[in-house]
Amino acid sequence: MHNIAVHQQSFPVQPAQRFLVFRDMAIIAAAFLALSLFTPLYWLTDFAVMCILVLSFDLLYGYMGHLSFGHMLYFGAGAYMASLALLHLAPNPFLAILAGLVCGAALSAVVGFVVVRTSGAAFALVNLAFNQIGYWLALSGLQDYTHGEDGLPSSVEALWFLDFRQAPVAFGFMLVCLLLVFWLLKTLTASPYGIVVRSIKENEDRVKFLGYNTFRYKWLTFVISSTLAAFAGSLYALVKGFVAPSDVNPLENTRIIFSVLIGGAGNLYGALVGSVAFEMISNLLATTIARWEMILGLMLLALVFWFRRGITGYAYQLYLDRSYERLVKFAQGMGLSLRRQK
Amino acid sequence: MIDTILYGLTIGAILYIFSIGLSITFGTMQIVNFAHGMVYSLGVYLFISFLPWTLRIFPLAMALAIAAMLPVAYLIERFIIRRLYGESLDYAIIATYAVLLIGADLIKYIWGTAPQPVSDPIGVPLVVLGVVIQLYRVVVFLSAVVLFFALRIFFTRHVIGKIVVAALEDRDGVRALGLDVNKYFSIAFVIGSGLAVLGGVLYAPITTSEPYMGFHILLLAFAVVIVGGMGNLTGTFISAFVLGMVIAITGRVYSSAADTMVFVVMALVLLKNPIFSFVRRLRGRPAHG
Repeated sequence: MHNIAVHQQSFPVQPAQRFLVFRDMAIIAAAFLALSLFTPLYWLTDFAVMCILVLSFDLLYGYMGHLSFGHMLYFGAGAYMASLALLHLAPNPFLAILAGLVCGAALSAVVGFVVVRTSGAAFALVNLAFNQIGYWLALSGLQDYTHGEDGLPSSVEALWFLDFRQAPVAFGFMLVCLLLVFWLLKTLTASPYGIVVRSIKENEDRVKFLGYNTFRYKWLTFVISSTLAAFAGSLYALVKGFVAPSDVNPLENTRIIFSVLIGGAGNLYGALVGSVAFEMISNLLATTIARWEMILGLMLLALVFWFRRGITGYAYQLYLDRSYERLVKFAQGMGLSLRRQK
Repeated sequence: MIDTILYGLTIGAILYIFSIGLSITFGTMQIVNFAHGMVYSLGVYLFISFLPWTLRIFPLAMALAIAAMLPVAYLIERFIIRRLYGESLDYAIIATYAVLLIGADLIKYIWGTAPQPVSDPIGVPLVVLGVVIQLYRVVVFLSAVVLFFALRIFFTRHVIGKIVVAALEDRDGVRALGLDVNKYFSIAFVIGSGLAVLGGVLYAPITTSEPYMGFHILLLAFAVVIVGGMGNLTGTFISAFVLGMVIAITGRVYSSAADTMVFVVMALVLLKNPIFSFVRRLRGRPAHG
């Protein structure tokens, strides 16, 4: 009876699809461009950054099955490091992104060494604890660098045509970054490495019996996921030109978890759909409804009890049912009867 | 020096009283119960509201607040935690976290975001070795010690306590004896929640209450439970006081780093096996496991 894990139905593991990835990337780009017809462009820029963050979380939670309550730490670390690089080194956007990436990778490589030794509940909590430490550092521990509650403003110099003050340029840059991250994660999760990571979610002991060093895989996945979160953070710092301790606040992790759940964990499309849906809801509702946190909590409860598969999981189930019905009809035409295998 | 030690003992006492419920749900159901923080903070706010009605009689308002929160705790156990028991841990964490969010927002809606101070109910200063200390803190510490022994008696002598301890060890074995484990878990959960409110009310005069206080003490209590061993009630007692002393001593040296030090200790505890095996390897002995 102990620890019976009822996982949501994951999507089938497919062999590396070299060209299907590009089809999906085209669809994502087209969807974002279509959204730009009736949503302000600066919203979509934020959505793209959020999508990268949620995609990185999906690798950790959806694919490896490790729920973390501390993902904002890496987002915030990337954002702060990028701003500091802009302020103290040079106002070059690529240098800032590089600084954010290096900071996220170094931090998660060290923290991951501790964190990955735990799993399940302890994993979520230890991450939360580290996030709290980071929040404290941003708020008061490293006040000389982060300026505490006042936040850290920074400005980016226009580089050739890359001027982040122009909304279309910023949006285009974020979209390209999002597509790159999507391509990277799609390739990674379809590779043999990705299959090992998914197997760790299903049953880690069996993966160990097969001779894999699961610690190494888990650590690597944690570092990749956190570095991508730091990437999202540095992009965020470039667009906003301002970082505050609220960007490291552990309470903000709810946004990420909610986005993954609403879209459907364990497939990258779910993360994309979920984060756009969540950002739409929060942008439209949070300004008009005062009791936003309560609604968020109630919606989270509803998701956990009745809508676990999320939007994409639900759509996939509908598709499976449809194709099954078609198969049954076809078989009946051939004079056969099919029984569903449970 | 004496006031630092006393402060550590007081914080340790509060952490212990709060962590018992968490440790029990952790040990029996393997569920991380964020809703514990909601029960705690809602209980304290109810206590603050009850205080004027009960002519400022501290124990009476405390008893009323605990009595008011017991049904709420039962509802959380019955309709959220038990429904998720045996399923993926992640959903239990997310659902109880949602309860915590709803609770924090409810408090903001009813009482507002302003911090709520509570005055010291005893207010008698003692002078020990030339240092002024508050009698109230001594009382808090002593009540935690009394509670520890009372719980020991409950868990070793009373039949409900014995069943809960047995279920902590082997849930299926207890079920095989024909006992309705869920019923006893419910009782243990409600007792734990009542103790959370007790801890919160005892802590209220020392600190100020704000809507997110449940979240902050939860983080510390999770550290206590992890350091003490999940479901290990004696370990929880010891680790609560150790971490309380860590908070007090760090707070004396560098006040804003006090809570952070707790997580450093927790990380060291989680890392103890790799550190030991590393030391063994340095000494030239073969590492085990």
